[in-house]
Amino acid sequence: MPSLRGRVVGQHWYTPYVFMLPGLLFYAAMFAWPAVIAIQLSFSDYDIVHPVRFSGLDNFIQLGHDPRVWIALRNSLLFVLMFLPLTVVAPLFLAMLVNLKLRAIQAFRMLYYLPVITSMVAVAVAWRYVFNREGVVNWLLSLFGAGPIDFLLDRHWALPTVVLLEAWKNAGLFMMIYLAGLQSVPSDQVEAATIDGANAWRRLLHIVVPALRPTFAVTLVLSMLEAMRAFESVYVLTRGGPLDSTLTLGYYIWSKAFQDYDMGYASAVGLLLWAIMIVLAGFNLLVTRRRDG
Amino acid sequence: MARRLYRSKPRINPRRVGLYVLLIAVAALFIGPFLILLGAATKPASQDVFGFPPDLIPRPPVADWFREAWTTIPYARFLVNSVIYVGITVPVYLVVSALTAYPLARIAFRGRGVFFMLFLSIMFLPGELMLIPRFLVMSELGLTDTFAAVILPAILSSLGIFLLRQAFSQIPDEIVEAARMDGANEFGIFWRICVPIAAPTLAVLAILGFVSVWNSFIWPLVVLNSQSKFPIALGIAYLSGVAGTDVRGLAAGTVISLVPVVIVFLLLQKRILNSMGGAVKG
Repeated sequence: MPSLRGRVVGQHWYTPYVFMLPGLLFYAAMFAWPAVIAIQLSFSDYDIVHPVRFSGLDNFIQLGHDPRVWIALRNSLLFVLMFLPLTVVAPLFLAMLVNLKLRAIQAFRMLYYLPVITSMVAVAVAWRYVFNREGVVNWLLSLFGAGPIDFLLDRHWALPTVVLLEAWKNAGLFMMIYLAGLQSVPSDQVEAATIDGANAWRRLLHIVVPALRPTFAVTLVLSMLEAMRAFESVYVLTRGGPLDSTLTLGYYIWSKAFQDYDMGYASAVGLLLWAIMIVLAGFNLLVTRRRDG
Repeated sequence: MARRLYRSKPRINPRRVGLYVLLIAVAALFIGPFLILLGAATKPASQDVFGFPPDLIPRPPVADWFREAWTTIPYARFLVNSVIYVGITVPVYLVVSALTAYPLARIAFRGRGVFFMLFLSIMFLPGELMLIPRFLVMSELGLTDTFAAVILPAILSSLGIFLLRQAFSQIPDEIVEAARMDGANEFGIFWRICVPIAAPTLAVLAILGFVSVWNSFIWPLVVLNSQSKFPIALGIAYLSGVAGTDVRGLAAGTVISLVPVVIVFLLLQKRILNSMGGAVKG
């Protein structure tokens, strides 16, 4: 706790608050107030037309009996499971690739990062050409005598396709996080291991991965939260279909709120998603802290 | 330099060639979809967009579909709107973030840690979950379907405050004390000493802010009704509704929407790429 005596010349007790005032106002109006409304709504019945009516635990009771919530929950968890290896493991290899001391390596980093800065809507349009029934992917499949597959219209393929696209769009970001982490891997240890005859795979497992532990903590949390709240990709690619096969919690909240105008129930599902995200983040923190100690 | 002159014959290292082949193959994976999109947008009408085997290179490239997309929907309007959204959001975002971060870094006061955690908690209030309550807040304030409604929620981010607090804390005390001795007040120290020193961080945040506002989609979709206020990303979604089966016009329209952000990225790529690591390493 900083000492309050010996205050610096020109600083008053209110100085920090004057600086923070705009930030606090935005915090109150755009975060705190909406958060309170969300909690309030989840205990209410509200369809925008009629006034808000307190409904106690009705929404949460409905939540327990709503089969679509369970479908959405299952899809969101499947999303996380498929998304994790694609964003926590694969980008590490990408990072090791672009960490090589080669000419024009910066250009490759840039190309791999490009999808990160483009809008999900544009990305979705581009991928619809790739995954078209007569597109490149189906052509490649046809070379092996497989397909054609309507990736976004088939209820077995739709969710993996959305996950793949979301992972592809974010891979560059995770790659850059690992790249930053790789700078902190002790190069003398790697060299020593090389001289001792450790092959690349052993160097990776015994030196690089342990050194990257703090980085894994970051990518793991980021990946889980990204996957849990996946919504925009679902909205622009499949709208939850076909047959609810890509119905994620995020999309379910949106459709309940802005298609059925069932704001109260949608908020209750929102709280569920919120709780899951906080539990996941907390669990992550716990696991990574313990390993550090 | 001397080494390059010395090396008269280029040596071909098979391992190096293999690595470049791998790098290029991976690059194809990441930019392939964009190139296919560009191909679809520039192929003449006589050339099929799809087909086995894929015929991806336009012969010859034409601009017809760009013209068509440009006239199908009010593109200029959408682009201008997005420029307005970026032009207002990013400067306000930078100023508010800097003002908020400054005391958290450089003024000792009770509860500083609590305030910092408060602002970091924004991370756990993701936009997707705030759609409903924010929509209601906007109706309460009478702001639905206005530019302000799109801008206001984008002003505060935990990343901005986090990175600027870090930048401000790294400024050596001697510099600040010297200014104080010269009679500078707290705001003067902030504005004339600390903000210029934190310029690289501000630049990074400006770029990230630009990208995120340019690409924002869901919140404008919820809060806007009038097409005349749509940002470009919403315009593309609208085009894909209007254009329906016109795969060429849609491709061209999407390419147009990508151009500004790709240009900004190409110009500032070093800064963007270097920032990402720093942001996370913290």
